[in-house]
Amino acid sequence: MKVNNYNELVDLSDLSMSEAELFAHVDHNDLESEKITAPRYSYWKSVFRVFFRKRINIVILTLFAIILAFTYIYPLMVDYDPFQNLMDSSAKHLLPGAALNKLGHSIHWILGSGASGQSTFDAVWFGSRISITMAFICAAINMTVGILVGSVWGFSKKFDIFMTEVYNIIGNVPYILFISVLVLIFSAGFWTMVFALTITGWLGIAYFIRTQVIIIRDREYNLASRCLGTPILRIAMKNILPFMTSVIVTLMATEIPSYISYEVFLSYIGMGMSDMSLGRLIYQAENAMLTPGWQFEFWSPVAVASIITVVLYVVGQNLGDASDPRTHM
Amino acid sequence: MTKYLLRRILHGLVSVIIVVAIVMVLIYSCLDRQLIFAQDPVYVQLGNNQKTVYQYRKWEDFGYIDYVPYAEWLQTLVASGELTAERAAELSAFGQKASNDSEEVAEYVARFTAYYEGQGYAVTRLDAKLSKKKVAPGGQQQLFAYKDKPLMGRLWNYLTSLVSVDNIHYVQEDVGQRGLTFTLHDPVYGGDTFAPAIIGNGTLHKYLLYTDHHFPFVHQNLVTINLGKSYTVNSGVDVFQSMNAPQGSYVTRVLTYPTGLTENSADDLHSATYSAGSRDASLVNRDRFTDDYTSVVTIKSGLSKVGYSFVIGIIAVFLAYLIGVPLGIVMARKKDKTIDKIGTVYIVFIIAVPSLAYIFLFKAIGYSMGLPTTFNMDSVDWRMYALPIISLALPSVANLMKWLRRYMIDQMNADYVKFARSGGLTEREIFSKHILKNAVIPLVHGIPASVLGSLVGAIITERVYVVPGAGNLLTKAINTYDNGVIVGVTLFYALLSVVSIILGDVLMSLVDPRISFTEKGR
Repeated sequence: MKVNNYNELVDLSDLSMSEAELFAHVDHNDLESEKITAPRYSYWKSVFRVFFRKRINIVILTLFAIILAFTYIYPLMVDYDPFQNLMDSSAKHLLPGAALNKLGHSIHWILGSGASGQSTFDAVWFGSRISITMAFICAAINMTVGILVGSVWGFSKKFDIFMTEVYNIIGNVPYILFISVLVLIFSAGFWTMVFALTITGWLGIAYFIRTQVIIIRDREYNLASRCLGTPILRIAMKNILPFMTSVIVTLMATEIPSYISYEVFLSYIGMGMSDMSLGRLIYQAENAMLTPGWQFEFWSPVAVASIITVVLYVVGQNLGDASDPRTHM
Repeated sequence: MTKYLLRRILHGLVSVIIVVAIVMVLIYSCLDRQLIFAQDPVYVQLGNNQKTVYQYRKWEDFGYIDYVPYAEWLQTLVASGELTAERAAELSAFGQKASNDSEEVAEYVARFTAYYEGQGYAVTRLDAKLSKKKVAPGGQQQLFAYKDKPLMGRLWNYLTSLVSVDNIHYVQEDVGQRGLTFTLHDPVYGGDTFAPAIIGNGTLHKYLLYTDHHFPFVHQNLVTINLGKSYTVNSGVDVFQSMNAPQGSYVTRVLTYPTGLTENSADDLHSATYSAGSRDASLVNRDRFTDDYTSVVTIKSGLSKVGYSFVIGIIAVFLAYLIGVPLGIVMARKKDKTIDKIGTVYIVFIIAVPSLAYIFLFKAIGYSMGLPTTFNMDSVDWRMYALPIISLALPSVANLMKWLRRYMIDQMNADYVKFARSGGLTEREIFSKHILKNAVIPLVHGIPASVLGSLVGAIITERVYVVPGAGNLLTKAINTYDNGVIVGVTLFYALLSVVSIILGDVLMSLVDPRISFTEKGR
């Protein structure tokens, strides 16, 4: 081989080893040659390496951190009383500029004030705390149940016939009906909402997982594994579940924002919860949309809800892309 | 294929029946019955026994229970000829307490109790509430029997009365010669013009078959579909009717009634149904009608609820496919170029942002462009359709783009594409003739669902733009506890979804000959 660049040649004296040491004879070792030496591979390390390779992800993640900070830390630090200006009619429905001038230059008033003189900015973040928490809890419950049921559903033929029937029937009962009946039986509180969104919500996820499991189930490597006597549970946990990590993360990326959207939708048609969530803020400020000068009360929660859902979605999608081992090259 | 389809349809119908049963359990058994009185102004004013009786009467109206007051039972005895009307009136005066009953009354009360308890009813007797030796307001004595309707019986009754065929023995009263007459000259049009019609006597509808100038020109009243009576949303009217009845302002024209009276009126004589004793009861009817077929609906200028939803929905679906499919193809062809990136941003926007938010955004943009933001049935301004249609179409455009792009990119590395390329076909030909044909197959499956889905209407869009469509029917019914409407609408939705999945499969097998549902092929 011809060396073009002499700079690449190593001067032996640089290695600070004696010549005898450098050219010592090494015996062949059968045991050692069996060892496969490759760089240590950690799946999640590679996932994050790929994830952070894209600049846009760092920006989005920062945005995500800011949203989380405002949602969970900001409400702990401020004292928000929606009725503090209730008696002051001149403090209601103010645009940001007017509110800052009238009520003092603080972060509370940068989005103006609402129908009862409350700070729109505070209301939005207190609302998003409820909405985001609900979305996370619903996603956690639905994903756990959905993945567990879905993997069994994909494996067992008998269970498949039964569950497909259940899926077809439950899928045809209007979702709104379930929710409204539950809201009427219990109260329109936070946990009722979580219950209503999870009681049938896992079915769709389970169905999706079932289809994925069926696709991978009969691949050759699983067949081989089964021939070698691996129990089904181990195949499900060790062979199939890791394969679906990226699918599950991608699914989660669509699920979490969808609960926020759904909560907004339910509040809008008057079936939401009684807590001041983002959806309820939008519902209550609807009339303000077409009133000149009041639009901020309406568009602020709408914009924040949209930003939250978009950020959650994009983070999830990109994490899903990164967790696909085919992108780790 | 036919056998397979028949099995699928049967299977679907069974699922639909189970869905209806589940909904019935949800609304009749799980919900607190007391809720229907929450906004009832009458309920608040009533007191004592009257309040209790009012409760039971309402529960019967809403379909929870069978409720029979003592007096009503006596009336059935009168009808069967056992008692005379005067005697029944005497017997119906039961005492303020059981010990005050006269011997005869006590005997009948005992019979009433025995008869209904034998059928599983609970018989309740409320003694009069007295204050200062006089009956307190609403405190009169009451005697009635009631029973919860069992699920199976309710389901059976509901399903058997879904389709009713009119017959000449429908009317129980004496109406003279029963029968059907076929005429070539419909009396509604004066009896001179050629207009075939079948007129019944003894039937519910007077006109069983008639012709007019509106599509589809020949109409029938012989077979009626009953999805369930509404109680609060549209009192006393069947759900199917309230979904399909025209809305808007009256259309009046010069009309000659059967008596010869000519008047400017919106009545539709073809819709006449029997209403016992109605002619003698009112002077208005006596002037106009020659028999008891006096109950008519009026002609209105607007479309029905389903009509508005469908017009908006179908145009939106059409637009969505017209825009979404070419854009999806372009995105797949120019993968990772600018147009693909812009498209992806749009798709992310539609998926992630709550639908409420972007509909309001469209509304605000439309408003600033001078488009009407509210719907008005009496207006002739066609621009009012624009915003609802756009709001429905744009999200489905995103959906179509997303899937078509995905499917096309998945196909791009297939062997047949490489083969076509090596054969020297242009990229354009490969995309439009080879990849597209394979990529649209999953999309074809969704076409019947989106077309039939537009009958159902869109909840948010219709609410935001005040469209009088069918989308709000369910939410409105839930808010007013109109159980009949909830069950009826659910059945309608479930049937549509079952039918659209089956149609989707059929359409898919028509488009792609490789897909076959005959079992031998596999």
